[in-house]
Amino acid sequence: MTRAFLGGVRIHLIQFTKNWFDVSAVLLWPILYASIAYYLLDAQNDPELLVAASLGAAVMCMWSVVVIGSAGALEQQRWLGTLELLVAAPVPFAVTLAPVTIASGIVGAYSIAATLAWGTFGFGIPLAVEQPLAFALAIPACVLAVGMLGLITASTFVLYRAAFSLGVAMQYPVWIATGLLVPLSVLPGWIGPVSWVLAPTWGFLALREATVGGTPWPDLGMALLLSAVYLVVATVCLRGFEHLARARATIRLT
Amino acid sequence: MSFLRVLVIGGITSYRALFGWISPWVFFPMVITFPVFEILFFAYLGRAAGVESDEFFLIGNAFMAIAVTGMFGMGHSVAGERRSQTLASILATPANRLALFLGRALPAVITGAVVAAIAFGVGAAVLGVEVGREELALIGVAVLVTSFACTALGLCLGALGLRGRNVSLFADMIAGSMLIVSGANVPLEQLPEWIQKLSSVIPLTHGIAAARELAAGASLGDVSDLLAAELAIGAVFLVVGLALLRVFEWDGRRSATLETS
Repeated sequence: MTRAFLGGVRIHLIQFTKNWFDVSAVLLWPILYASIAYYLLDAQNDPELLVAASLGAAVMCMWSVVVIGSAGALEQQRWLGTLELLVAAPVPFAVTLAPVTIASGIVGAYSIAATLAWGTFGFGIPLAVEQPLAFALAIPACVLAVGMLGLITASTFVLYRAAFSLGVAMQYPVWIATGLLVPLSVLPGWIGPVSWVLAPTWGFLALREATVGGTPWPDLGMALLLSAVYLVVATVCLRGFEHLARARATIRLT
Repeated sequence: MSFLRVLVIGGITSYRALFGWISPWVFFPMVITFPVFEILFFAYLGRAAGVESDEFFLIGNAFMAIAVTGMFGMGHSVAGERRSQTLASILATPANRLALFLGRALPAVITGAVVAAIAFGVGAAVLGVEVGREELALIGVAVLVTSFACTALGLCLGALGLRGRNVSLFADMIAGSMLIVSGANVPLEQLPEWIQKLSSVIPLTHGIAAARELAAGASLGDVSDLLAAELAIGAVFLVVGLALLRVFEWDGRRSATLETS
């Protein structure tokens, strides 16, 4: 299973870098969202807020790449006629699907470098990472958090032929609920508890705290803990949805 | 008459084919989710930043929804045929190309307008924005004009689909850039001068500006210059798109690349 997982990550990383749609999305979107945040938040003249906005925009794009990338990858497997083979393989489908979302998360991690560089060179936002070690650990934790949430959502994509459109529709709700760019304080109160059970919220907080000099470790721990829970949930969901898709004979439909 | 027949029957058939692929019960909630949450996201970001009003973001992003549908609908009309390997078959017919592809895009454009209207209503209800009925009717005129201009831009993208394989790439980049350049989410005066110049020659900018003025109580006469500019930009893109369609089809036939996918 380890070989299947690592091999899957490698193959999907190669596939992502061959697809100009994904590459351009990774290159362009972080800069666009960071720019909007800079132009809007610049009014408050708070460098710390702008750095947080950079990181928020980066995690937003990481989520986009994961959810759209995994939806697109599944849709592509349908069109290529290989989804059936993956489902039929003796390796659990979660081990086949997880590399897609993790590879997307790794590609999306570029967004962090892009937004921070764009903020520094394009808008003169001073960049200083207060806790480099915590920051370095927060990046893979954030990738994992986003990737595992992506795995849960990707499990539903097995059911639907319109996976790609479904993936696109799922971007903004998660961006809002995780408080990546919009502080939770300005959102309706009931969104707060929702954000606590979303692993990317904690991944983002770990990144932010490590950058501005806070207490990143509890956030990092929560991100990892929730990621582990997500893996269990995704495995159960995948098993159920896979069974449903087999029973309805919809896996091959394009 | 033949133009209308190809446009209407082709469009209806194409739209019916869409629901052979996806259930309407999945499709409509899915397409409504995106613009509703886009409106809410930017409105709340605006609140957090203390920049502009909810109405500013509500109008800007509802118009973005229309623009995206017009561009993607038209852009994908060619790419979709290529993907399902029917492009060569329809180009072998003597049918008018504009009727062929516009017919496939029109249902998407109409859906986009309906979706944007629903998103506007939901967004207004959630954010507590009130726009009078009279103002809404006038904004409807701005919607039509903007939809025309964005669909004309989509025609250019669709024509590129005869030449390149991944039109989604261009459409996605343009739609993303429009979030900023059109003034949908950032006040134009806050943008660098070169972006302001660019924004004045692309579809959407003048439509959004007109709609915001209409919502503030202006009359159609007050925004006629903005609507005329939007119409003129749309007309230019329409002419360019038709020319590109002709040139790329001819080139695709000559180099046998129409079916390259």
